[in-house]
Amino acid sequence: MEVRIEDLVKRFDDVVAVNKVNATFESGKLIALLGPSGCGKSTMLNMLSGIMPVTEGKIYFDDRDVTMLSPDKREVGLVFQNYALYPHMSVLENICFPLKIKRVPKAERIEKAKEYARMVHIDDYLDRLPKELSGGQQQRVAIARALVKRPKLLLLDEPLSNLDAKLRVEMREEIRRIQRESGVTTVFVTHDQEEATSISDYIMLMKLGVKQQFAKTRNLYNDPANLFVADFIGNPTINQLHGIYEKGNFRPDAYENAIPIGRYQIEDGSRVVFASRPESVIVEKKNGKTVMEVEETYVSGKDTLCVLKAGDGRLRAYVDNDSAPQEKDLVSVSFRDRGVFVFNEESGERYYE
Amino acid sequence: MKNKTDRVKSFMQYLTLFIGAAIMFLPFFWMINSSFKTEKELLSFQSFLPKQLLIDNFRQAWEMGDFPRYFGNSVFVTVVCVALTMFVTILAAYGFSKLKFPGRDLIFTVLVSMMMIPYEMLMLTNYETIRHMHLFGKIWSLIVPFTSSIFYTYILRNFFLSVPDSLYQSARIDGASDWQYLWEIMVPMAKPSLVTIALLDAITCWNSFMWTMLMSSGNRNIRTLPFGLTAFTSEAGVHYNLWMAGATIVVIPMIVLFLFCRKSIITGVSRGGLKG
Ligand SMILES: Nc1ncnc2c1ncn2[C@@H]1O[C@H](COP(=O)(O)OP(=O)(O)OP(=O)(O)O)[C@@H](O)[C@H]1O
Ligand SMILES: [Mg+2]
Repeated sequence: MEVRIEDLVKRFDDVVAVNKVNATFESGKLIALLGPSGCGKSTMLNMLSGIMPVTEGKIYFDDRDVTMLSPDKREVGLVFQNYALYPHMSVLENICFPLKIKRVPKAERIEKAKEYARMVHIDDYLDRLPKELSGGQQQRVAIARALVKRPKLLLLDEPLSNLDAKLRVEMREEIRRIQRESGVTTVFVTHDQEEATSISDYIMLMKLGVKQQFAKTRNLYNDPANLFVADFIGNPTINQLHGIYEKGNFRPDAYENAIPIGRYQIEDGSRVVFASRPESVIVEKKNGKTVMEVEETYVSGKDTLCVLKAGDGRLRAYVDNDSAPQEKDLVSVSFRDRGVFVFNEESGERYYE
Repeated sequence: MKNKTDRVKSFMQYLTLFIGAAIMFLPFFWMINSSFKTEKELLSFQSFLPKQLLIDNFRQAWEMGDFPRYFGNSVFVTVVCVALTMFVTILAAYGFSKLKFPGRDLIFTVLVSMMMIPYEMLMLTNYETIRHMHLFGKIWSLIVPFTSSIFYTYILRNFFLSVPDSLYQSARIDGASDWQYLWEIMVPMAKPSLVTIALLDAITCWNSFMWTMLMSSGNRNIRTLPFGLTAFTSEAGVHYNLWMAGATIVVIPMIVLFLFCRKSIITGVSRGGLKG
């Protein structure tokens, strides 16, 4: 099912939790809703599920306007951050509950519930109570309960935040698999950019209730719409040098040399942020081009991370271990075409060539 | 390894408990013990235990007093009272904990503060109300004033408040209505508290005396056991053995009920469902 939101707004007294968001979630895709804490992700999800009324705007499921529809009629599944399993019911009863409400005959609903329990690998624990399960197991029960009624839309609110690092990676692959198998349109909330990029088809990045960018996961990294996006996505974070743009050159603050970066549609003398991914920085033996001093080096696996000094700013670059420079060496620096962006210093808006 | 002072300490603890239990238990034992004795045996103080287990006292008491009717009335009043009280308590507790309406907490505070009013004062107004409802002397007069309880509502509301809202939202998304959520999720979760409340209420109803006396002054057919017993003591003359048999008849159903629900009561009380 396709989900479309139009000018969605949610206000709490004086806080605007979600501000005029437009988006279309393609059918059968996994969309990650990403952003720092308090940016309105949960609010968005709660409005999609219907447990929170919208202030303004519309929500469509396919062509149906569901803005005013109550949650029990929306055919959505929601997995809460704390799982919200019914504590007095066994695993099997928990999974059966949505079907019981729908008055599915007992034998049939037990069979269905068992089928979904198998799918999330929880079928050995059917008689246990939620409190007798680990966090990861509880989560799988919550997913099975959300899926068993065959929802048109599956919503997951930071479902992995309570798990340890290893289980998190396992479970996100599991969620991906379950989503593929069931083909249900899924919205997955997280504030962890790595989790979002590893699991999703699309990412919607938000900040203070405002949509920053909504794009294919890969494009968010390769083609950020503004400085916030470029900064939020990627680990290690993108290099940022502040300075002045002048005739195809960038002059970092307190640095004697100019860096040639090509023609952008920027007025000469504007203050800009020059951003580059660490893997887009080319470090060579000193050869007359832009020269910088190596401040520190860290070996990590087959690469060495070099920290270079450019006036007040610092650049991080990945270099092959064999050709890695020493600390205090002077090296020449240039940039690839990919992974290099220029932004307006004040607004964070991106400039294009 | 337990050392000596520990052992002395635990001995003292058990001794205290034993004395307490004995003090509680003795009157019951005396009552039941005496109900098996003949009148002569009882008055002569010759032996502590009865010579034979005499069922005859029970038969006599049962037939002499109007006990079958009292018993039927008691069962009817108790069952209906408890059922209605539970229903009203559950709905009220849900309303005061989970539904949002203006003045909710204020109204509840007022209700709770009304628990301070002594029961004897309410008897007058209740009496007037019953009279105006033309229920005076009818068995429903024993039920109508006791179909709700602020105290039980307070207990249950506290439990309901501790249930996270995400369960409600979850149930709504699973397709449940408010009504289904209450009966399918909240009530089963509150079961230990509910059993405790039901039992307390059953005991209160069963033992209710003053009000029954007042209401049944116009009609002896609606007497329940406790008042019936008092009436019996005056109507049957001074036969201690029969009185004791009658008293035993009155308490046995509650003791049986308690034994059945013992486990739920202990969980209900121990998890704080009855604190406050
Ligand atoms: N019920 C509410 N009443 C008032 N303000 C609220 C309410 N719920 C959320 N907010 C506010 O709305 C904003 C967005 O909250 P939301 O819970 O959607 O953030 P989030 O992105 O889910 O954050 P997190 O990652 O911490 O869960 C926050 O500023 C929050 O304080
Ligand atoms: Mg949240």
